[in-house]
Amino acid sequence: MVDSVRVVIAEDSVLLRDGLTRLLTDRGHEVVAGVGDAEALLAEIERLAAAGELPDVVVADVRMPPTHTDEGVRAAVRLRKDHPALGVLVLSQYVEERYATELLAGSSRGVGYLLKDRVADVREFVDAVVRVAAGGTALDPEVVAQLLGRSRKQDVLAGLTPREREVLGLMAEGRTNSAVARQLVVSDGAVEKHVSNIFLKLGLAPSVGDHRRVLAVLRYLNS
Amino acid sequence: MSTPASGTPQHPDGEADDPLPPVRATFAKETWKEVAHLLTNFPVDVFGFVYVVVTLALGTGLAVTVIGLPLLALGLSGCRLAGRLERRRVRALLGVRIGEPRRLRMDRLGFFGWLWAAVKDPVAWRHALYFFVRLPWGIVTFTVTLVMLFVGWPLLPWVARGMANADRAMARGLLSPSDELERRIAELESDRGIVVDTAAADLRRIERDLHDGAQARLVALAMDLGLAKEKLLEDPETAARMVGDAHGEVKLALAELRDLARGIHPAVLTDRGLDAALSSIAARCTVPVRVVADLPGRPAAAIEGIAYFTASELLTNVSKHSGARSASVDVWRSDDRLMLQVRDDGRGGASPDAGSGLAGLAERLDAVDGVLVVDSPLGGPTVVTAELPWREREFDHHG
Repeated sequence: MVDSVRVVIAEDSVLLRDGLTRLLTDRGHEVVAGVGDAEALLAEIERLAAAGELPDVVVADVRMPPTHTDEGVRAAVRLRKDHPALGVLVLSQYVEERYATELLAGSSRGVGYLLKDRVADVREFVDAVVRVAAGGTALDPEVVAQLLGRSRKQDVLAGLTPREREVLGLMAEGRTNSAVARQLVVSDGAVEKHVSNIFLKLGLAPSVGDHRRVLAVLRYLNS
Repeated sequence: MSTPASGTPQHPDGEADDPLPPVRATFAKETWKEVAHLLTNFPVDVFGFVYVVVTLALGTGLAVTVIGLPLLALGLSGCRLAGRLERRRVRALLGVRIGEPRRLRMDRLGFFGWLWAAVKDPVAWRHALYFFVRLPWGIVTFTVTLVMLFVGWPLLPWVARGMANADRAMARGLLSPSDELERRIAELESDRGIVVDTAAADLRRIERDLHDGAQARLVALAMDLGLAKEKLLEDPETAARMVGDAHGEVKLALAELRDLARGIHPAVLTDRGLDAALSSIAARCTVPVRVVADLPGRPAAAIEGIAYFTASELLTNVSKHSGARSASVDVWRSDDRLMLQVRDDGRGGASPDAGSGLAGLAERLDAVDGVLVVDSPLGGPTVVTAELPWREREFDHHG
């Protein structure tokens, strides 16, 4: 996970675009291109794909010209359909459960959706970029809270212990067992036990692979 | 007080008529005034009838020519003027106060704008009708009063009162400003006042939040960073700690700005509608909130905005005051109404009295013909239901 990843940035604020570029290159990653709107992003990805130089991950803002509403989300959904190998990390001033659901429709492989503020925690943010580039998931804690709140399975969720709820949240954010363990300052084994308990209580088949696991959890919450 | 005139009705414009004293066999001042009114009915009504018939007949008869419609419009404007004089006579002699109708409303400026507005002016037509139907009545009142004066004067006060009351009813019915349209306009004007007031209050709130929140934080942050810059060489360890504090401070400022901007208008409300926008305010509540939205489409943006704001305020109340363990938000459409219901299992006792947050909400809803119903017995549960008119969206916002 320490390899340099190749990134395309789509962000209409030049200030933020330069900041993101500086931050990522400082950590040894390569910013292949920076664009200012969704049209330019789609064109740039097509150009790179045609040249056989598809980047590892796209970092895109949700609100971009011309309408400043949800261009970023729509471009991301389209890119994920056209280029399944491409990771897409969407940044936004606000996170919304509805956009997350649209982004995750079908698969949670190589997708991220974070509050823009999270770039302030440089290490966490760069970790998320790398994780999404490698096919992982990065969901903002706030989105996860909304998904948990909107879920129709409140009765079952109420049956979880507070610790299990915590683990479920971190799992839905896309973290691996060891990352969850680090965050909660417990052993990997303890996390594994919590995870299997959660799957048992939710009635889900324990799945292998972190991104499959995320998808299972999210499907469950949304059903 | 048992005379028929004692129950003088209150007018929609709020002005009370002069109270009438009971009829007595000895002639009171009011009776003389009524008699004077009934006697003047004849000349006034003859003049009014002739005026209306001549101008309207001329105007409509010549409508095919260039001067026809202007003549009709002039004639109708004259009816308004005559109506004003008649209201004065009624007020002076019968003690009936009738508010002035609104001035002529022109959709367009210029001669043709005036012409069109004057020709279809409902007030003028009602006044014309008044003068048209009055002539036979004027003859009757004049004759009867005259005869009674000479041969039946002991009964005159009662007869005069009866006929004067008919006059009062006629004047109120046809000379008053209180038709449906006029009333609706007055209502809308007061609603607009409330909307303007709440908009101004919102701006003040935003200014205050910016001033006390993010702005203050940024000042503190600039100070911290300035100090850290000075410490950088002589005491790098302290400087690092200060930069760390500043980092925390700036993240808080960002979160505050985000909350503030969302409070003004969340982008997702415009993009995806009420259902999607409710997720984040539900997640923000301090207790678990179940959201169920069952809407066949999207209502007008203004209605969505007010519904969102209402839900947001009600959930803030749940967080702050209710002591609830769980809450729910339900949104559905019922015929031409948008219904929003927030319930919680808290301690109840919420009151929509003046000055409370709920009263402010009720006022906002009222501005769009909405209603707020609060059911909150002591000990709970609290159920607040908002009902808004379902107005269709004027255009569909991309998909």
